[in-house]
Amino acid sequence: MLIALLSIGIGATILAGLVTIYVDVPRQMGAQFRSFGANMLILSDDGMAKDQMDKALESIPADQLVGAAPYRYIRVDMTTRQQSFTAAGTDFDQITKTSPYFSVEGRYPEKSREVLVGKEIAETIGIRAGSSMELTWQPTAGNTEGDPSEDRQPGAVLTGSAEGWSGGTVYVTVKLDDSAKIASLTIDAGTQTPEIGGLAQTDEAFTRQFIGKDLPLKLEEDVDALSGATVTSTAVVEALNTAHNTQSAVAAKTIKYTVTGILTTGGEEESYVFMNLEDMAALTGNDAVDVVELSVSASAEELETYAEQITENADGVRARLVKRVTRSETAVLGKLQSLVFLVTAVVLILTMICVSTTMMAVVSERRREIGLRKALGASDRSIRTEFLGEGMFLGLLGGVLGAILGFVFAQVVSVNVFGSSITFQPLLIPAAVIVSMGVAALSCLQPIKRAVAIDPAIVLKDE
Amino acid sequence: MSLLELKNVSKIYGDLKALDNVNVHVDKGEWVAIMGPSGSGKSTMMNIIGCMDKPTLGEVLLDGVDIAKESSKKLTDIRRDKIGLIFQQFHMVNYLTAVENVMVSQYYHSMPDEQEALEALGRVGLRERAHHLPSQLSGGEQQRVCVARALINHPELILADEPTGNLDEANENIVLDLFAQLHAEGTTLIVVTHDPEVADAAQRTIVLEHGKVAREVINEHFDEQQKDWLARLKPENKR
Repeated sequence: MLIALLSIGIGATILAGLVTIYVDVPRQMGAQFRSFGANMLILSDDGMAKDQMDKALESIPADQLVGAAPYRYIRVDMTTRQQSFTAAGTDFDQITKTSPYFSVEGRYPEKSREVLVGKEIAETIGIRAGSSMELTWQPTAGNTEGDPSEDRQPGAVLTGSAEGWSGGTVYVTVKLDDSAKIASLTIDAGTQTPEIGGLAQTDEAFTRQFIGKDLPLKLEEDVDALSGATVTSTAVVEALNTAHNTQSAVAAKTIKYTVTGILTTGGEEESYVFMNLEDMAALTGNDAVDVVELSVSASAEELETYAEQITENADGVRARLVKRVTRSETAVLGKLQSLVFLVTAVVLILTMICVSTTMMAVVSERRREIGLRKALGASDRSIRTEFLGEGMFLGLLGGVLGAILGFVFAQVVSVNVFGSSITFQPLLIPAAVIVSMGVAALSCLQPIKRAVAIDPAIVLKDE
Repeated sequence: MSLLELKNVSKIYGDLKALDNVNVHVDKGEWVAIMGPSGSGKSTMMNIIGCMDKPTLGEVLLDGVDIAKESSKKLTDIRRDKIGLIFQQFHMVNYLTAVENVMVSQYYHSMPDEQEALEALGRVGLRERAHHLPSQLSGGEQQRVCVARALINHPELILADEPTGNLDEANENIVLDLFAQLHAEGTTLIVVTHDPEVADAAQRTIVLEHGKVAREVINEHFDEQQKDWLARLKPENKR
């Protein structure tokens, strides 16, 4: 009897333990998978404001959202080294959540004007944590953000173009000095006749006369035309004036940053400079975000639903899943769960065999008592009820025992394998009890059949 | 008035005729002994009378019902309602106390009633041993518990199989005293035995040989014996 109880207890323990793990595995593994990085992206075509991002995030339950790291990418120059990099504006608190695999030598930036430099850049320009670097943001093509009122700000860089000789376009880039006078000028006249208008690009005497002048300019009054190339010269002046009048240029800005750490990721992030979004806004005068990387602890179906909700609800943004991550998650979880399921089934069958054998032994051990009970008038039905009752009681005890031990077992497994504790499932107790009782009842069928078949006349025979 | 009647009863196992055309009748209130050497058909007859087996041929009328024709489920009901069994091996449930063993019989019959069970134990002189386990009781005491268990449901017939076979003489006498008392109260007793002394206590002895009734012996001294026993019993009961 004790053996039957033990086997049911152990069976129920393993059962309850595995079911707990089975239920908890997606969460456990989900948390593990979250260390592989973001599994959802929120994108926007023309920059995403903070409130747009917040609105999009509302679609995801807070307890499932591991982290949401916003990113904005711009090109910056390091003038002192004639290098140009991609700078990423982000939120470092969130990065540690969405990309826990980021490895930083030094520390993450905490204050403003601190940056994290990718390992590749650090090696190229030879800087370490603690060094400082000056980064310049140029409002060139592509950097179209900015406020036109900042036009003619000291240090602004303007670009413009105009039609020159035989339909070819002439481009100019002009940098203004502190008093908004022309500090330097670059002319691209590659489309003009090389030995005539093309000389505008190279003739120092021609370009030098522009330095120190105020825009707009007039040809022949303020500057002289390049000899024999009136059309091209006119185009240059026109391009400059266009730049002055229409270019929504923002002043190029240079800010000095302290490098707090060198980032190693094994990916393209190593060629980026990371800074706070606030710092990036200070540099560019714009706080929009290009993309938000989300790490959400949810099943593939849930993720899909959230993505749809975000795309539907928030205007101007859309969400998509990082399929590579979500697919492998689903596949691994599926395999793990079917493994647990298989083991559970095998354990149940083993428990059944064990209980059945024990009950069989109990029946033959109590042959005489059963015979006596029948001789005293016990019907087959009451014998059946008694044994079934006994079996169910065993199942009940074993189930309760198993649910408790199973939780402990699952906890131990969880701590050792996944390194995290699990939450107790209150539903597990009734479930374990019901399953144990069912298994016990099934296991009792054969022994009961045998008990019922005992001939009461055995009590009359001599030993 | 007859309680039990076996008419031309045969029990055949292959070539072996365990019972061969047996005719027996037992009146209500009678005390009958069945004797015979091993293999004479005693056990077979006992099984049939105890509703645990059916004859191959013939009729067995118990209280007017032909039990040879009943289903085994019905036989269980008849056994429970009409027959009290006493065994050579006592057969107590070893994890239950004396009074609980008596109550098992009540449980299958109707409802366990501890008071009634204790009274029945009182009748066999074991009231104060009621809460002892079988292992704490002597053989004689165990058999008395079994007598109490057999009579608890007021059966029409008490069927005893070698009731003194495992007892010493003193205990044998105690059990026979109880039988005398039951007889005096009008209970029908059938005692299967190979002990001539036990058989001599009965009113009538049926002797079986080779599956047939060899002879019947009437105990002519029964009434005197009974008087003696009862005289002996009374002061004991008052004790």
